[in-house]
Amino acid sequence: MSLETFATSKAFTLGVELELQIVGRHDYDLAPGAADLLRLTSRRKLAADVKPEITSSMIELSTGVCERHRDVITQLHEVRDALVHDAARLNLHLCGGGTHAFQDWSRRRIFDTPRFRQVSELYGYLSKQFTVFGQHVHIGCISPDQALWLLHAMSRFVPHVIALSASSPFVQGTDTGFQSARLNSVYAFPLSGRAPFTLTWQEFGVYFEKMRRTGVVESMKDFYWDIRPKPEFGTIEIRVMDTPLTVERAAAIAAYLQCVARWLVLERPFEPQEDDYLAYTYNRFQACRFGLDGVVVDPTTAEHRPLRELIAQTIKDVELHAIELRAETGLALLRDALVAPDGSDATWLRNAQAHEQYLPEVVRQQCLRFEGA
Amino acid sequence: MTDALWSLITAPWALEPDTLLVAAVLALAAALLGEVVWRTLRWPRMLGYVLVGTALALTGGGPSGHEPALRLAIDGALALLLFEAGVRLNLRWLVRNPWLLASSVAEAALAGIAVWIVLRSFAITPGVAAPLAIISTAVSPAVMLRVVGELRAAGQVTERLLALAALNTLYAVLAMKLFSAGLLLSDPGTWLDALSPVLFSFFGSILVGAALGEGLALIARRLDLRDENAMVLLLAAVLLALVVAKTLQLSALLVPLLAGIWLRNRSQRPWVWPRHFGSAGGVLVLVMFVAVGSAWRPEALEASIGVAAALVLARTVAKSLAVLTLARPSGLGIGQALCLGAALLPMSGTAWVLGLDFAARHPTSGAQMMPVLLAALALLELAAPLIVMACLRVAGEIDVQRKGKQP
Repeated sequence: MSLETFATSKAFTLGVELELQIVGRHDYDLAPGAADLLRLTSRRKLAADVKPEITSSMIELSTGVCERHRDVITQLHEVRDALVHDAARLNLHLCGGGTHAFQDWSRRRIFDTPRFRQVSELYGYLSKQFTVFGQHVHIGCISPDQALWLLHAMSRFVPHVIALSASSPFVQGTDTGFQSARLNSVYAFPLSGRAPFTLTWQEFGVYFEKMRRTGVVESMKDFYWDIRPKPEFGTIEIRVMDTPLTVERAAAIAAYLQCVARWLVLERPFEPQEDDYLAYTYNRFQACRFGLDGVVVDPTTAEHRPLRELIAQTIKDVELHAIELRAETGLALLRDALVAPDGSDATWLRNAQAHEQYLPEVVRQQCLRFEGA
Repeated sequence: MTDALWSLITAPWALEPDTLLVAAVLALAAALLGEVVWRTLRWPRMLGYVLVGTALALTGGGPSGHEPALRLAIDGALALLLFEAGVRLNLRWLVRNPWLLASSVAEAALAGIAVWIVLRSFAITPGVAAPLAIISTAVSPAVMLRVVGELRAAGQVTERLLALAALNTLYAVLAMKLFSAGLLLSDPGTWLDALSPVLFSFFGSILVGAALGEGLALIARRLDLRDENAMVLLLAAVLLALVVAKTLQLSALLVPLLAGIWLRNRSQRPWVWPRHFGSAGGVLVLVMFVAVGSAWRPEALEASIGVAAALVLARTVAKSLAVLTLARPSGLGIGQALCLGAALLPMSGTAWVLGLDFAARHPTSGAQMMPVLLAALALLELAAPLIVMACLRVAGEIDVQRKGKQP
C-alpha cells in the first residue's frame, strides 16, 4: 500500500478521541465489558462515535469534526453521560487515566486471532503491558505541506500537553514516580518517537516509500509517532496525551492545541528546524517524569525553563486566537490548573492514594470524577 | 492389607479415633485429584473434590449430615462462601437495572412453581413438594464462586450468575423459614409459638449479620487484607458469628450472606481479598465439596432418579425461560441469556443444609423429601459445574476475557 493522498480539511477544525477504561464495580480491576456496552449504546443516537478497541476492557469514543471548544464539550458530555448510564446497568464503571493503577499485565490475554498472535509474538511482553489509555487530538489542515509544517512546529509543545494531561502515576500497583508512565510503554516500540524532518508531502512520500520498501511498514498505521499526519482525515494527530480524568480537561487540552496551531500557522512565530529535536526526548522525559514541574530546554537559546511557566506564557501568546476560536473557557481551566496545588491529574491520583492507601478505592474515586458525579 | 486400606478409605464419617486419619486420606485424595483434573482437563479443582465424594458415595460410605464435626466444617465452609457471595451482591445494581431484579424474582418464582407442578404430577404430597420447590429455587453460590474463581471468568454472564445465585439463595432461605412457620401455624392456637421463633430468627440474623459486616469493615479498613494475619482475623470473625448464630438458633446460612451484603452495600468502598479467606478457608471448602458429593446413597438414587431428573429439568427450563424473556430490557444479548439460563444449575451445600434443617424440624415429610433432594444433588454434583464452565466458555468469559492490545 503506498502513501494515501492527503484529504484536505477546514483549517483548525478539531477532533478528539479518548480511550476509556472499563472497570468492574466489585474489585475495580479492568473488566471485559466493551461488547456489552457497545450493544447498549448502539441503541442510541449520538453525535460522537463509540468504537471497540482490541482489548475488551477499553472503549474508544471520538467526536465528530468540531469547530469550537464548546462543540467538543457538548459532544463529549453527551456521549459520556450515555456511556455512564449504560455502564451502570451492566454494573460497570468508566474512567479516564493513562494507565489502570493496579491491573496485572501478566494476566492480560492476547486476543486469539492470527493478526494479534503475530503482534504478540513480535513484541512479546510489550504487547501485554501496552494496556494504556490515551487521548488523541486531530487538527484540520488545508494542505499536506501545511500539515507537515505544523507537525514539526508543534513538536515544541509536545511536553506541554504531556504535562497537562499526565494521569498515569501508577502501573501494576506501584507508584512509578512518573506523572505519565504510560508513555514509557509507548516508547518501547520500535516505530515510536518523532516523525522524520520533512516539510513537504513530496519529501515525506519519498521517505515513506523507502520505509515501505524495507518491509518494516505497510501503511501510516504502523508508525506510532507522537504526532503523525493522518492523510485520510486531512489532519495531524497529536497522540502523546494520557486520557485525562475528566472530559472537561480533555476538551481544554484540545482547545489549547487548536489555539497553538492557529497561532503557529497564522503568525509563524518561528520556523521549525531539525535542531528543534536536539532536546526533544530530554524535554519529553522531563514532562513525563515531573509533569508541570518539569524543566525543559530551548534547543536554540539553551535556556532552561519550567514547563508551568512556559505553558502560562503560551496561553498569553495565543490569547487573541483563543478569543477568535472562542476557546477562552478551555484555556481558563488550564490556567487555573497551573496554579492549583493538585493541578495535574497525576497529583490528584497520588493525593487520593496517600489518603486512602488503597488503589481500588482510588480507581473508584477516579470513576466518580470522570462520570461528573 | 488391601482390605485394611480399603476399609480405611470407606470408613464412615463418625467421631471415632480414626476420623482424623480418614479425613486426612480423603483430603489428600481430593487435593490430588483436583490437581489432576485441573492439569489434564483444565476443569476446576472442585470437580476433583466432588469426584472423591462420588467415589465415597458409590461405596456407601457417605455421611448422613448429622455428624457434629463434619456439620461444623460444612457450616463453616458455607458461611465463608455465602459471605463471599453476599459481598459480590451490589444492591445498587438492582436499583440501576430494575429489570435485573425482575429477572431474579421471575427466575426464582418460575422455578419454584415449575418444580411444584412437576412434583405434584408425580403424586408427591404438597407437604413434601413445597419444601422441595422452595429449595430448588436456590442456585449454589458455592459452586458458582468456585468455578468462576478457578477459571478467572469475568463478564456480564459471570456477574449476573453470581448476583442471581446470591439473590435466589436469599429468597430460598427466607421462604423456608416462612414455610416452616406456616406448617406450625396451621395448628390452631400455636400461632404465637410458631411465629415468634421465625421473627426472632429473621431479625436476629439481620442483626448479627449487620454486626459481623460492621466488624469486618472495621478490620478491613485498618488492616491490609492481603496480609495473612488480617485474613485469620476475618476468618475468625465469620466463624464466631456462625457460632453465635447457631447458639441463638438463628439461620447459619442467612447470617453470613446478610453480613456480606451489608458489608458490600454499607459504603461504596471496594473490598477485595483472597478467595475463601486464604488457605484455611480452602480446607473447609474442600471438605464441604467432598461431603456434599458423597451425601447420597446408590440404592436411594435408583428409587428417586426419575422424579429428581424431572425436578432438575423443570427447574432449568423455568430459569432459562425467565432469564431469556427479560434479556433485552435487562441489557443482555440473546446468546448471553441462553448461557446464563443454562448455567443457573448447581445445587449443592446450601440445598443440602436447607434440606437437613427442614428434615430435623419436620421428620415425617423430611424423610420423604430427602431421597428426592439427594438424588437431585447427585445428578447435578458433577454435571452442573461442567455445564457452568461450558456456558462461561461459550459466552467468551474465560481465557479471552482480557485481551492484549496492539499499540
